[in-house]
Amino acid sequence: MSSPSWKKVLWERQPYPDSFIPPESFLSALRRNPNFTPYTYWPLASLCCAITQHLGAVFTFLVVFVRLKERSLDARVVLWISVTLFMLGYLAWEVLNYANPVHGPSTRSKVFKSSLLVFLALMGLAPVLRTLTAATSSDSIWALSACLFLLNTLLADYSCMKPGSHTQERLTSVLSMNAAMSSSVVLASRLPDDLSVFSLILFAVQLFALFPILRHRFWGISTALQAFVTISISTLSLILTMSLSVSVCMVVIGIYVAVNFIAPGVLVWAQKYKNEIRGPWDVAVPRLNWT
Amino acid sequence: MKDGALAIAMISDFFYPSVGGVENHIYMLSANLIRRGHKVIVITHSHPPDRVGVRWLLPSLKVYYIPFPTIASSATLPNYFTFLPYFRTIIVREHINLIHAHASLSSLGQEGILHSHFFGVRTVFTDHSLFGFEDAASILTNKLLAAALKNVDAVICVSHTGRENTVLRGQLFEPSEDDPSVSVMRQSVYTIPNALVAEQFTPSPQPRPSETINIVVISRLAYRKGIDLLVATAPRICAAFPNVKFIVGGDGPKLNDLLQVRERHLLQDRIELLGPIRHRDVRDVLIRGSIFLNTSLTESFGIAILEAACTGLYVVATRVGGVPEILPEDMISFANPDEDDVFRAISEAIHIVSQGKHDPLKAHERVKSFYDWMEVAERTEVVYNTVIRSDPIDFGTRVRRSMDLGPSAGVIYTTILIVDCLFFLLLEWWMPREDMDFVQAHWKTEVFSELAQETSRARRGQLRRFT
Repeated sequence: MSSPSWKKVLWERQPYPDSFIPPESFLSALRRNPNFTPYTYWPLASLCCAITQHLGAVFTFLVVFVRLKERSLDARVVLWISVTLFMLGYLAWEVLNYANPVHGPSTRSKVFKSSLLVFLALMGLAPVLRTLTAATSSDSIWALSACLFLLNTLLADYSCMKPGSHTQERLTSVLSMNAAMSSSVVLASRLPDDLSVFSLILFAVQLFALFPILRHRFWGISTALQAFVTISISTLSLILTMSLSVSVCMVVIGIYVAVNFIAPGVLVWAQKYKNEIRGPWDVAVPRLNWT
Repeated sequence: MKDGALAIAMISDFFYPSVGGVENHIYMLSANLIRRGHKVIVITHSHPPDRVGVRWLLPSLKVYYIPFPTIASSATLPNYFTFLPYFRTIIVREHINLIHAHASLSSLGQEGILHSHFFGVRTVFTDHSLFGFEDAASILTNKLLAAALKNVDAVICVSHTGRENTVLRGQLFEPSEDDPSVSVMRQSVYTIPNALVAEQFTPSPQPRPSETINIVVISRLAYRKGIDLLVATAPRICAAFPNVKFIVGGDGPKLNDLLQVRERHLLQDRIELLGPIRHRDVRDVLIRGSIFLNTSLTESFGIAILEAACTGLYVVATRVGGVPEILPEDMISFANPDEDDVFRAISEAIHIVSQGKHDPLKAHERVKSFYDWMEVAERTEVVYNTVIRSDPIDFGTRVRRSMDLGPSAGVIYTTILIVDCLFFLLLEWWMPREDMDFVQAHWKTEVFSELAQETSRARRGQLRRFT
């Protein structure tokens, strides 16, 4: 005599005990890693370029600050570099906009007006900023600016923008920019004269406010461009740090290698532990015709 | 008490006066176990200002309301130790043999499972809900559940899907003794469904007029209940079938969406919104319709569907969680959680109902034969007896199983286990059992019914004097 086969129903009493576990059908609806596409190494490494570029900018800024503070770099040179960078960046922006236009609110006259406004405002504020933290000890300033740069690096928007799409700026990237600007302001307040303060802050605006926007636009263009920008920024920062201290330069090299080459490898390796469990108990996603 | 009768303590954060599926389950199960001759008490947290201390519910169900504050949705904070003094006193006073904890988000129940081995009390746990594995809240609560269930004697789930889910969440498998690389399921995981009181959900005695077909929806109006699907399909159904009306009961964050769609499509006379409905009024709403629609996105058992089917409504439901298990295919139309498919299933149901192929009275009789609380109590009793007969888990096994939880969670939970033992020893010394006040007087049904009769007689006499 064969007993009727077990069915997955509750409304019928079956000739099996309640603790019976059907050998075949139990957990048959379980799916592991259903929509899983594994990462590969090189695309991840190229995505990490954005982080390296950002770190490069931070280190370059720090070297410029140290040089200005030690008076081994003329503030006027920094000023002219900033102005040149702005011109070059704006030119690149115009070229990119010509190739594939992103409709934004900025017209040329507006850009000119606002950049002039920032320029003059910073110039006017420089004496105020120079004495801003006169009553605070330098140790507190170093600690504060280190924390702020850390926050800036953690929160920065490293996502890649698809060409043609217009994404809303996220809160974290705004916070990140603010952290970097605050950090530059408190560092600038340690500098000896008004012109250094002015040129450092102008330089910070280029690196932390304008460069991320341009970096975003660079994204979808080509990997070669991406690699070129990354290599040039990181090499520049390395050369500048080398002139200050070799040991610091070694640390910076270590950071770049870890971020750009080791971290993607660790992520690729860690994927073998990925175990996503899906089953009929998951909250279903309703499919609607209007979206 | 008769031979083989047990003294059972139901422990859960969720009990009357709050209302819901778990609360009702605990009450109905307790009431039927009492009818079968067991002694049952309930331990829950208090609901100040008026539900505090010890209360009795009919039929002779004693409820201990422990003065713990709640954090969110009637759940208390898991803290592992503060429950022990109350728990010890109650278990010792009431001579409890077995505790039955309910609901995985009830920290009171999980603590009860942790403490009970000090008293030689056996443990059973019932899981009522489904959880995923991906979000942070699920990961955390699943770890707490796994920790609690390491040392439980038996687990009951309300549906087969729920059982698969609980086995994975609570890690109810151990390395096999023959081959440690293979995991085997614990033998003590049961499926016992919920039930309903069929007498409370009788179909309407006179047949409904067949020209208009009412579709009833009774649900919390929230995302998880799939209200987006309802909002998308209701206007399409109204356009395709001019004789169909919707009656929607319930309240929630998605009410605005429903109001908007009603306004946009000018369906004020076709979609009736009733607002929140008390459980005792559910049947009065249900008998106004002939089709019940449930678009939930996750459901561990779906008691609302059963209540509707019992009232004689044809059911349209999304195929999620444990819903496919609760009714035979000819009483329910399934749809995928997809707008077009829900539309198709409702149209199919409208055809079935308008051709008179669905007999409400027959449906009621069938559901009545499927589910019965007395049967649930009997099946639970089998679990209790198996647990009582099994060997208790010794302390070494407890520690070993706790350490299996993981490199950090294992150490944390083992520490909790050991500190709990020390706390217990402190309590034994500080409040010795000899000084405790044991429960001597039990509920006597004969005395109560005599008193009740006397009271009603006296009241009738008073009434007669007044008239």
